Amino acid sequence: MNVLELKRVSKSYGSFLAVDDVSLTIEKGAILSLLGPSGCGKTTTLRMIAGFTAPNSGSVIINGSDVGHLKPYDRNVGLVFQDYALFPHMTVFQNVAYGMKYRGIAASEIPARVARMLGLVRLGSMEGRYPRELSGGQQQRVALARALATDPQVVLLDEPLSALDAKLRLELRLELKEILRSVEATTIVVTHDQEEALSLGDEVVVMRDGRIAQRGSPTAIYNDPADRFVAEFVGRSNWFNAGNWRDAANGFVNYESVAGISICGQAKPNTSGKVDLCIRPENIDVLAAGEPATMDENTMPGTVVDVAPLGADVHIVIDIDHGPRVLAIQKSGSQRTSFGVGQSVRIGFSPADVLVF
Amino acid sequence: MTLVVGLIFLLTAVFLILPVVTTVLMAFDSRDYLGPFPPQGLSLQWFDKLWDEQYLWAGFYTSLIVASAATLISSIVGTLAAVAMSRMTGAARDVLSSLFLSPLIVPGVIIGFALLMLFSALGIGSPLTRLIAGHLVITIPYSIRMALIGLLGVKSSLREAALSLGANEIQAFLTINFPLAKSSIAAGAVFAFAFSLDDLAISLFLSDFNTFTLPVALVGLLRSSFDLTIAAAAVGLMGVTLILLLVLDRTVGLDRVVGLSVDKA
Amino acid sequence: MKADKNQGILLLPAGALFIFLLALPLVLAGVESFREFTPGRIGSVGGAPLTLASYAELLHPVYIQYFALTYALSFISSIVAILVAFPIAYYISRRSTPTVRKGVIFITVGLLFLSHLVRIYAIELTFGSTGMFAPLLTALGISMNSREYIYFMIVAGLLQYSIPMSMLILIGTIQNLNPRLLEASQSLGTSAFRSHVNITIPLCVRGIVSVFLVSMTMGISAFAIPWILGRGRVLFVSNLIYSRFNEVANFPSGAAISVIMIILCVVMIYIVSRVATLADRS
Repeated sequence: MNVLELKRVSKSYGSFLAVDDVSLTIEKGAILSLLGPSGCGKTTTLRMIAGFTAPNSGSVIINGSDVGHLKPYDRNVGLVFQDYALFPHMTVFQNVAYGMKYRGIAASEIPARVARMLGLVRLGSMEGRYPRELSGGQQQRVALARALATDPQVVLLDEPLSALDAKLRLELRLELKEILRSVEATTIVVTHDQEEALSLGDEVVVMRDGRIAQRGSPTAIYNDPADRFVAEFVGRSNWFNAGNWRDAANGFVNYESVAGISICGQAKPNTSGKVDLCIRPENIDVLAAGEPATMDENTMPGTVVDVAPLGADVHIVIDIDHGPRVLAIQKSGSQRTSFGVGQSVRIGFSPADVLVF
Repeated sequence: MTLVVGLIFLLTAVFLILPVVTTVLMAFDSRDYLGPFPPQGLSLQWFDKLWDEQYLWAGFYTSLIVASAATLISSIVGTLAAVAMSRMTGAARDVLSSLFLSPLIVPGVIIGFALLMLFSALGIGSPLTRLIAGHLVITIPYSIRMALIGLLGVKSSLREAALSLGANEIQAFLTINFPLAKSSIAAGAVFAFAFSLDDLAISLFLSDFNTFTLPVALVGLLRSSFDLTIAAAAVGLMGVTLILLLVLDRTVGLDRVVGLSVDKA
Repeated sequence: MKADKNQGILLLPAGALFIFLLALPLVLAGVESFREFTPGRIGSVGGAPLTLASYAELLHPVYIQYFALTYALSFISSIVAILVAFPIAYYISRRSTPTVRKGVIFITVGLLFLSHLVRIYAIELTFGSTGMFAPLLTALGISMNSREYIYFMIVAGLLQYSIPMSMLILIGTIQNLNPRLLEASQSLGTSAFRSHVNITIPLCVRGIVSVFLVSMTMGISAFAIPWILGRGRVLFVSNLIYSRFNEVANFPSGAAISVIMIILCVVMIYIVSRVATLADRS
């Protein structure tokens, strides 16, 4: 059953269309990531669900009833703000208890309930502290506990991890997911961080210029992006411009790129003229000058510009002869990482890994 | 370079503080007339005289009533206006804010003179009401300004968090915005009280022979008999100032006063 | 729409007081300034004929002198205040320890909160005929009864306010400056003094202008300082207005002087801000 449904929702500010005819559904207990660059309309969408912004047209439906006319306090939507918005003059206990009295929870029940919420986010011993006495990660968890404390129908997280440092972000991401799963919260996570979106969401919605560019599972978004924008925004990518194609066979064709480079990839039925070819860096093999390529792999010669060992992966930057600069990501420990800067190499990638737009 | 700055610093400190010190010392002078500095002996005679100076005490009581009433009214009125202003867009807020601060650039004498003409034309008001009304003109700008600074300092996400947790607009204001802006509003009240207590120009026009404020009484003494009872009164007023300062330091911290509250522009 | 209505209600009390206690009286004063004055009456008669007499009277050199003196002494004290307060404010916000800073701010705010009559009285006790400097001045042959000495006393009185006020505003301004800019300039080989002239002062133009305007407005409105320290021989425009009311009960004239004073004040603020904006751009 759909807990939340947006039906053809639009919002404009003056002549600027912030959200343009967006329709969305989310099932009970699911986590949906709303991903996009700043200004794509994801925050406006979130504010319309919460009730801070009224749509110009379309409807917001929660559990079957249209809530478009309801004030934020008459909807039961839990919100975790980017800056957490913890009340600085209240203790952790008071922060978490704040919503309970307005949502009609009996005063006698509140302490036990707060304790349960704080247990859930593993802050059981902190209830007497003030927000300023907590670390960033602890504040984030208090904000989550406060939002979940009133059993909201929908939980909205606005860039929940962006204020934390990289290491903490990874830890909390997992924890956040576990907590949301354990209380079966129906959740929308708004973020511009693709890793966060892909790792938290059961499904990902990519937004661009107020519209939905693509909706799909994290795997589908990455492996089968709908257009060049999604491919560029999610993950890293190498690009070749190509023109005419020839020699079609078995669904594959040879695309002519710059300076006589020919790239074999999947045929695109309605292709006419120019196409953009995208190859993910982890799909590129770096081969020493004499090393043979796998059968029917695309290969092209180039020169190593940079080798950066980044722990598990090694990032190798290569200038293709007469072509663009590409990034190849190789697993550390494989023999394909021992290249020196200036060395002549070849790159190889399978036609199946070429995304054609 | 440092030497020059040091010298300026020292001279300025002497110039600003020496008169205060001189006054305190002279207040304890044992001579029964105003003689040349320094005092030849110490006594409390001027404080005894001050104790019996009914004229000054009457002014002091009136001043306390006027300042308290003006502070209370302007804190309420100013906070209400600041709440509305804090929700406006930047441009509208700037216009209103310079409008409400404009009384501060009008010389007090003109405000007093114009108010006197208004009150006599309408034939209304006891001297006490007239004084309180007159003081509101100079206290409300401080109340609005400080309340506005306090309210704008509360992030809008806090209010939104309260709304999303089920508090309505009024509940959110009373539990979140107001408590967080309280110290700033209190500082505004201290300013209002201090400037009301110190006003002479407006009070002079609105006082009469029976109802007058402390500065009106003091200036009368200053112009008639320049004796050391006034030095004793000055020491008392320094005590009042010290209390106000400590209240201010406790509520907002003096550091925050710098550059925001005194800047009239 | 609903939000707008609520805001209107919240603004209503302050707005009503503002209109009733400031705008209306000033308009009334403006009208009064055109009324004909009948000597011996208190104020003007309700339907007295309109005339420009009260303004024409102000063209007399004696009155122009009051205005000139008021502006000249206020100007001197404003400039001195900036020259003195700027280096101190700079030192306090950049070099001093927190304790010194706190102490200076405590004393400065304290001076501003102290009754202005107390401070005028203190100036008279210190620099007047019974003060500690009297013997020295007499020895130097400086007459404490000269008009020039009275000017000095009045400027000293004005400075008691403008210096602490300027310091507080400038400390605020300088705190918001990025010290790295100055370091950058010095690392490029500019001398410390030139760095200040080139970097710090232009960035503080806004602060300095607002300090100047606040000091000027305070000086021009000064009432008790010239009234007491001027010993009846030197008067500011404020005192003139009061004497119109108190001594000759010529309300139209007092109103006319008020109108001119407000116009001059607004013109000054406009010109100075305009010049500052232009200087900012270049």
